[in-house]
Amino acid sequence: MAEKQIDNMKSYGLMNLVKGKTPAIQKDPYEMVMSWPHLLFREVVLFLIVLTVIMGMSILFNAPLEEMADPKNTPNPAKAPWYFLGLQEALSWGPPVLGGIVFPTLLAVLLLAVPYLDRTRDGIGVWFHPKRRTVNILFAMGLTFWFGLIIVGTFLRGPSWDFYWFWEAWPVH
Amino acid sequence: MSRVADLLFANRVWKSVFRHGYPSNPRNRAEVMFQNVFLHIQSVKVFKRSLKVSATFGLGLILAYLFLLLTLTGFLLMFYYVPEVHRAYADMKDLEFAVSFGVVLRNMHRWAAHAMVLFTFLHMARVFFTGAYKAPREFNWVIGIILLIITLFLSLSGYLLPWDQLAYWAITIVSNLIRTTPPADIMGAGASYLVLGGTQIGQNTLIRFYVMHVFGLPAICGLLMVVHFWRIRKDGGLARPDESNIPLR
Ligand code: HEM
Repeated sequence: MAEKQIDNMKSYGLMNLVKGKTPAIQKDPYEMVMSWPHLLFREVVLFLIVLTVIMGMSILFNAPLEEMADPKNTPNPAKAPWYFLGLQEALSWGPPVLGGIVFPTLLAVLLLAVPYLDRTRDGIGVWFHPKRRTVNILFAMGLTFWFGLIIVGTFLRGPSWDFYWFWEAWPVH
Repeated sequence: MSRVADLLFANRVWKSVFRHGYPSNPRNRAEVMFQNVFLHIQSVKVFKRSLKVSATFGLGLILAYLFLLLTLTGFLLMFYYVPEVHRAYADMKDLEFAVSFGVVLRNMHRWAAHAMVLFTFLHMARVFFTGAYKAPREFNWVIGIILLIITLFLSLSGYLLPWDQLAYWAITIVSNLIRTTPPADIMGAGASYLVLGGTQIGQNTLIRFYVMHVFGLPAICGLLMVVHFWRIRKDGGLARPDESNIPLR
């Protein structure tokens, strides 16, 4: 009977943890803590923060809902959701294929290729490492351009996609 | 106090579920991470520096939580919303005026969706500016970009569902855009037919967007997130400065 039970039992398991250093070459001694509770506690706190903020916003501000969809009544200007307004703005600059298809495709391919283009080992895990200045500036310029387009598309485009400053009123009719 | 703890955590039912005592000593704290399928995606130990707020600003985790909230609120919204062109808009109105807390439910779904798009960009910027995409994390960056694109499409597919003017004309713009894919009379026309389920936005479009929004895209997104998290663990945790001294490949 006793033998049979041993057969069915896992014959190995975690017995104890020993304090000490892990053997590692070319590395500083690891400074590690147990995920439970150090990581998990922070995760729970962050969840509560996210939940509170989203709930708070939802109690204070209502999501937009306009008139029912009407194919015969075209709003002017008609705008895509904000995250696509950069594209809609780029679209208005030249042939739609360039702004709407070629530009975003190139952008996506470029983003996917980032880790394969930059093969250096500089500044891993360090914010704005001086050795990464050029790539950081390039990326920041890219982000600024993208969000710049979104801001123009969202706030500075009026009827017929004409340009209006923040303080300029759109023409009535 | 410890007798209460014993009663709670040292009984047979607790042991049958968790197989170890409450994680109050190092061994049980390791066991809980090993044994629990949900926790096992994370490592037993983490680097102290990865826990600092400034290491990540929690942006990735915020994204995961927003996705969770969107799944929960979306699940509840599905009880009240029917993707039918004569009904969809009325259902939105009902959510606002007839369903208890319907308006808060809808708002939560909407604001969390906007936040998710915004935070994907912030998280991407964090990863870039900390050089965290370098080997061995190249592929996790690639998964991230795919997640970014899927997040955009998730948001877009949801945008049509209220069936109001905002929804209808936003999707009109996007479908006009798809139509320009060269060669326009083959690819463009074909792609827009595929997306709209016809030549113009109508019932076929609504059901296509709905199915993609409540099943297709979230399924892919959730799956990729799991891979994304698993890769973080397999890549040795979050990026650390001492990795710069290790030449790879
Ligand atoms: C949309 C959903 C996404 C979710 C839920 C997500 C989640 C996470 C989480 C929880 C982490 C752990 C560290 C942290 O919290 O920052 C992480 C790290 C990472 N993410 Fe994402 N992420 C998403 C999108 C992206 C995008 C768009 C990119 C990049 C283009 C990306 C690339 C990475 C990389 C390379 C890491 C490892 C960073 C490091 O080792 O320091 N992820 N992600």
